[in-house]
Amino acid sequence: MADQDLDSILRRMSQTQVNRRGFMAGGAMAGMAALVAACTGGSKATDAPASAAAPSTPPASAAASEMAAASVEPVFSQEPTEGHLWMYNWSDYIDPGNIKEFQKRYAVDDWTYDTYASNEELLTKLQAGAGGQWDVGAPTAEFTPALVQGGFIQKIDWSKVPNAKYIDKQFKGLWWDPKDEYQMPKDWGTTGIAVRTKYVTEDVSSWKNFFDVAPKYSGKIVIVDSPGDVFVAPLKALGYSLNSVDPTELSKARDLLMALAPHVLALDSDQYQKKLQTGEAVLGLTWTGGLDGLIQDPKTADTKYIIPSDGTLYWLDTWVIFANPPHPIAAHAFLNFIEEPAIQAQETITNAYATPNDEAKKLVPQKILDDPTIFVPQAIFDSGLLESAKDVSTDKNRVAIWKEFKSSIGKK
Amino acid sequence: MTARSSRRARLLTGVLLLPASLWYLLLLVAPIVIIVVFSFGNSGPTGGYAGGFTTDHYADLIANNIDPLITSLRLSVIGTVLCLLVGLPLAYYIATRAGRRKGLFIVLLVVPFWTSFLIRTYAWLTILGPEGLGGFIGGITGDDSFRILGTDWAVQLGLVYGYLPLMVFPLYVTLERMDRTLVEASKDLGAGRWATFRQITLPIALPGLITGSILVFIPMMGEYVIPNILGYGRVFTVGSSLVLTFLESRDWPGGSAQAVVLVAIMLVSVTFYVWFINRGRRGRDVSIL
Repeated sequence: MADQDLDSILRRMSQTQVNRRGFMAGGAMAGMAALVAACTGGSKATDAPASAAAPSTPPASAAASEMAAASVEPVFSQEPTEGHLWMYNWSDYIDPGNIKEFQKRYAVDDWTYDTYASNEELLTKLQAGAGGQWDVGAPTAEFTPALVQGGFIQKIDWSKVPNAKYIDKQFKGLWWDPKDEYQMPKDWGTTGIAVRTKYVTEDVSSWKNFFDVAPKYSGKIVIVDSPGDVFVAPLKALGYSLNSVDPTELSKARDLLMALAPHVLALDSDQYQKKLQTGEAVLGLTWTGGLDGLIQDPKTADTKYIIPSDGTLYWLDTWVIFANPPHPIAAHAFLNFIEEPAIQAQETITNAYATPNDEAKKLVPQKILDDPTIFVPQAIFDSGLLESAKDVSTDKNRVAIWKEFKSSIGKK
Repeated sequence: MTARSSRRARLLTGVLLLPASLWYLLLLVAPIVIIVVFSFGNSGPTGGYAGGFTTDHYADLIANNIDPLITSLRLSVIGTVLCLLVGLPLAYYIATRAGRRKGLFIVLLVVPFWTSFLIRTYAWLTILGPEGLGGFIGGITGDDSFRILGTDWAVQLGLVYGYLPLMVFPLYVTLERMDRTLVEASKDLGAGRWATFRQITLPIALPGLITGSILVFIPMMGEYVIPNILGYGRVFTVGSSLVLTFLESRDWPGGSAQAVVLVAIMLVSVTFYVWFINRGRRGRDVSIL
């Protein structure tokens, strides 16, 4: 009984607190989870999500699991791997059970997992000459061109990744990699508006509404600490592209941001869900990470995640193989392994982000598929409301506005 | 004979100092040289460093980026003074009055270091947050908008909490070695408590006081994690500005210019501080050192 409680606590922790972009929270939580696990002597921590998810799998997917089981058979003559895999990834962005399975199946004794907190950090490290330390990474798609230009990633040998055939076509041939040579889609999601409807009575369905009601909820607004996401709000509210570098458009966006700045409680990429949970913040410009946990908790079930009707950003994280990886065979084996439908389905359940793998979706519980904080409804995807980001973070005007905004938070 | 042995001694000194020299050359001197060079260069189109020579970054810094420096300076100076006000009596007590419990107190001071700095800082979020002290005070006063987190106060508290032990240890070491008979002599000769403290204890504690202040002041100046977590991103410090420039904007030359100015300010203020403290000591009639 107590074990079950612990399981559910750990699962809740892994669902609510883990944030793909939050290394500090991730690190702290990992430490605390380890502490809890150590105290109770339980190796159950890593098994919890799998065992908890099993009963809720709908019977319809039984056939699919059989198929998945069949695909466990090696689809190409299995080359022995180097026995090492060095990964550079967002924190807590892979299912621990899957890591163990991979290590066992491919005899990879040495698994390292280094983390970065932002794409900028990843790129900066590589620009500073840190290449050669890692095999596999998971940057966001819009960084592909910069990574290719810098010679930091290499083409994937698709003959060694047959499972890539499961990837949804709508994520293929996009601008960042028109021939799909360098990246394999991993997870995707949106930036949007989080609302505690218990406190915010107005209808906030667009970025325009968001700016309109902001003064009323002064000091109770949380915003992720990421320029690429924050610029989405004013630019979309004004009807511009979220990638705009047009000085006039940016100057109008600046006015909206500077009017918002005094009302902002916190710039926070790691703990925004915590602030929404306590009611310290009631309105947010956030990612989806962690909100799912709030919605499921009866005490905070009034939390809503809104994909704004004036359009917003969608992000796609992608698996890449770094240039001249120390262990290319293991890197390709991993890419193929992670796209096995059953393995990928477990990734979706653990990470709570949408998978682009069509076969894996058939193995994911319907409840998760219907959750708008995890899977964007197809109608919205087709509506053209979503726009992918371009790498505009070095644009001079954007840099200046971001700095001005960031140093004016909370100052009336 | 003597010439040869002194040459051997010099050689031995050189060999023993080699690791430290290499260490500082590679990890202190070289990075500073790189930063200075970068600070006069241009930024590349996708970030990074693109060579050339310009003083634009310094001009821009003076025009647009002085506020974070002032914020950090204010937080660090007040933080150092607070550490001193709390740390000196504490170190004095442990060194001279704690008796057999001395060891226990030292252990208690060290224990927090066994937990990650990050986790301890996150713990303050709970203590000061809406479910902790902040919410409690807000409840009592009926002020719904009352908040501790996200203010200068929270950051100041976090800084003092984080760095206090670095002030206490050097003070403790100097006070512990103090010859107590000097205090007795001073009192025998008719000096009051204050005069004894000012003329005996304080001068003896001075080396520890200088070391402690520097150990506390310098990391506070560059501190990023505490202002970011406890300040909710509302307290914009030099650390925040460096992260923004280097990582978010990928502007290495601009960030380098800020780093150079930060290092310069620290050098100047520490030098001035040491000079100021020592000046007082030289002017004193009673010299005990």
